[in-house]
Amino acid sequence: MMALSDRTALFAEGLAAAQGELFPCTSWEDVWRYAVSLSDEAPVVSPAAYEQLQRGALPDVNDPLRSIADRAVGITEAALAVAETGSVLLIEPAPIDRAVSLLTHHLIVAVTEQDIVDELADGFRWLARQPRAAAYATFVTGPSRTADIERSLTIGVQGPSRLSVAVLA
Amino acid sequence: MSASTAPFRVRYRRSVNDPDLRPRLLAFQRSWRESRDAQVRRLEQRSEQSFDELRRNFAAVKDHTLERMDEYIAEFRANAEAAGARVIELATADQAVDYIAEVCRSRGIEVVVKSKSMVSEEIELNHELEQRGIAAIETDLGEWLLQLARERPSHLVMPAIHQKRQYVAEILGQELEREFDPDDIPAMVASAREGLRGHYLSAGAGLTGANALIAETGSVMVVTNEGNMRLATSLPDVHFVTAGIEKLIPTWADAERQLQLLPRSATAQTLSTYTTCITGAQPGKEMHIILLDNGRRAMRDHEPISDALRCIRCGACANVCPPYQVVGGHTFGHIYTGAIGLVNTTFHHSVADAAGPQGLCVSCGACETVCPVAIPLPAQILDIRRRVHESGHAPLWERAALRLWARPRVFNALMGMGALASGMARLVGLARRDHLRLPLPKRLRWRAVPTLPLRSGQTLIRARSSQPTIAPAPANGQAVDLFAQCLADRLLPSTVDAAARLIEAGGATVNLPEAQHCCGLPAFDAGDWDTARTMARQTIEALEGNTRSVVTPAPSCVISMRAHWPQLFADEPQWRDRAAAISDRVHDLAEWLDGPGHLPSGCLIKAGSDSWTAHRFCQSSNRGDDSARIDQLVERLTGEHALPLAEPEVCCGFGGLTSLAAPEVGEGILDRKLNCIADSGCDTLITNNPGCVIHLRAGAVARGSEHETLHYAEFLAAQLPKQPTSSSPPPISSLLPTLSLPPISSFLRKQEPTNNHHQ
Ligand code: SF4
Repeated sequence: MMALSDRTALFAEGLAAAQGELFPCTSWEDVWRYAVSLSDEAPVVSPAAYEQLQRGALPDVNDPLRSIADRAVGITEAALAVAETGSVLLIEPAPIDRAVSLLTHHLIVAVTEQDIVDELADGFRWLARQPRAAAYATFVTGPSRTADIERSLTIGVQGPSRLSVAVLA
Repeated sequence: MSASTAPFRVRYRRSVNDPDLRPRLLAFQRSWRESRDAQVRRLEQRSEQSFDELRRNFAAVKDHTLERMDEYIAEFRANAEAAGARVIELATADQAVDYIAEVCRSRGIEVVVKSKSMVSEEIELNHELEQRGIAAIETDLGEWLLQLARERPSHLVMPAIHQKRQYVAEILGQELEREFDPDDIPAMVASAREGLRGHYLSAGAGLTGANALIAETGSVMVVTNEGNMRLATSLPDVHFVTAGIEKLIPTWADAERQLQLLPRSATAQTLSTYTTCITGAQPGKEMHIILLDNGRRAMRDHEPISDALRCIRCGACANVCPPYQVVGGHTFGHIYTGAIGLVNTTFHHSVADAAGPQGLCVSCGACETVCPVAIPLPAQILDIRRRVHESGHAPLWERAALRLWARPRVFNALMGMGALASGMARLVGLARRDHLRLPLPKRLRWRAVPTLPLRSGQTLIRARSSQPTIAPAPANGQAVDLFAQCLADRLLPSTVDAAARLIEAGGATVNLPEAQHCCGLPAFDAGDWDTARTMARQTIEALEGNTRSVVTPAPSCVISMRAHWPQLFADEPQWRDRAAAISDRVHDLAEWLDGPGHLPSGCLIKAGSDSWTAHRFCQSSNRGDDSARIDQLVERLTGEHALPLAEPEVCCGFGGLTSLAAPEVGEGILDRKLNCIADSGCDTLITNNPGCVIHLRAGAVARGSEHETLHYAEFLAAQLPKQPTSSSPPPISSLLPTLSLPPISSFLRKQEPTNNHHQ
């Protein structure tokens, strides 16, 4: 096991290599303040993030995906982060859990610094022990991208075009 | 007919006539190589394991799963069904299409949104569903562009890599009815959101492939970058997964092992943007997991090919493939592209579909070096070629040429005539730099035609006195059989002579076995095993009956004897043993000079300095043979260092029959090599296989390059004191034995004084 600060530094490196951004913060309050500073439109939040924040717009339960399509800023929470690859692990069993991370333009993912693991193998070990989490689990590494047209790397295709990870100390 | 479904010759002509394809794919291959190598180095450092260890470990996981396929399918099924999915095993493409169509029909589904799935390409699902009134919409940007253009993928991972941005702007413009600026790629990419959003909302089903099926929990793992797969599995109520049975792995830990190798090899990413694992149907939804056989069990049961089922569809084998760079995936492959496509097409589609591109492979072996699951692709391609040949799909001219080659007397007579004609051409000024000045058709003008020297290598050796030894000479007094190689003996006689002089300088005496001809490699390469066996038997008979070491300046013949002969005689124990007795004695010249016939370091220091660089024969080098390191040998003996050469591992394009059957491929690869050679700034290029010398020299002469092209034996032997030769120029009569018709020639051969002239 690496020291906490080393792990966070390595995570930041991996995330930057995948064109994501890290911002350190101490509370969910900071996450919220950052989110509202980004756009005039109110941030949408996933059910997991709503538990922490108790504010923001939740997707509509009956039509979660259509109700928030193309919103500017979204907030969600990761189960853990992987230092080796700069990834965050999102556990999203139902479409309502996924709506925010799928369809907003700028996605903010909050993760507790203690939950950064060394390598991908640790993340997989964690997942293998959580049958319910594995219903729909995604390691997200940076914003969505394509290089399908003349190999030119374009960030932001059908998922978010910006990804910020809020590491909660 | 679309660009990718036309007959092979039509696809071939189209791709070689596309002026943009080669430079685009060249830039792609070079940048992929650089980033992938950097990724692999980091992985090796972090894991403290070599790439080879990592890939062999994961290959062992795949092999284990394949051996117990039915057990793992049962485990996967039980777990996935417990989580609410349906698992359906199907044997053929038609059954898979029927199943999907039937589910759609019974649920009233008219639109299916698809994330990338090679299995759905394999079964041509879109087309089949369309016939039944169901729209299958591709949502991966590249796949969508292909669908709009009615094309097939030309690469496993970058499906639309052949499309130019101008073309993309045109097809997007038609679909979305507005103008696109070809230089504004972000705008074109952004249009996918707009063009596809409606389809996600109206679709009744989403279809994805699977990168792995995890048996211990019944989970499906899919790796993507765009986010479309997550949308396609979140909006519609039905989720289809189409996967080959070979995608099964036992555990999550194995999935992680696969991920260490897959994104790094595919897109040179540490991890792709989205690695999604889905276990079972989501509440209120359906999940149908289709496990397709479609030839896979037949592959598993055919030993030389079974390892191909390890494939994780990373595309790396295309990314290092020199002919792929010249013609692209619509020509180099069928639906599966790259080296793996040359192998698995026979099983998922047909021998006829696999036949066309076989002749494009130059057997350089680059694919195997990067394959993250260590599939012996080059050997498998040779096995498929044999099937192609045996099923009558090989070109007639090739069969005829090999039959002639297999008959030493005919071969010698033709070569003799060629030498006479070359002599006359020289006399009337039709030759320059040992190549003919002929008005060649445009598609052949890139390579000059070499003149045939009047005397063969063996004749040169017989005509001179032996070379003094350099002390200390560890091989002192040993007698060595020189296997000249059929091509080198006729086209590069001074190379053969130089090889003999180096052996003699190490203290051994050189013996020239009579009736030596061809090891059988050209026929083996072409899949014509019967002819290859005939040639191999001749060579065995010519070399057996003693215990002398056999040395050859041609590493390709060494590979042929060591690796191909055991395959040729697998069912003939007597011949197998006779073949093994020879291949145990055979040495590549470089191996000999570093080993038993060791020449002391610094023994060939040159007077003036010469700037040189070395092209290592790709096949030996990619197999990891030490003897390929001729640059190190030359440095050791001369004390002079080689100039750096870019892309040292890339083939020169000779590829045996490839450069004859597909001249544009030979040209394209040669051009890439000659550009690197020119950039090195060398005066002399040395290389180690006679085929490469002939090809590289003919190309250099045709483009007027200044540098000289030599076999390293000749480069080294130039430092040895010259030995007097009997007569020069040779009398025409010396050609008679080879020119005469068989009965006379065999008579004359019997009259030859000795074949052990130096003993
Ligand atoms: S054969 Fe090997 S290199 Fe080629 S796609 Fe499959 S895994 Fe990748």
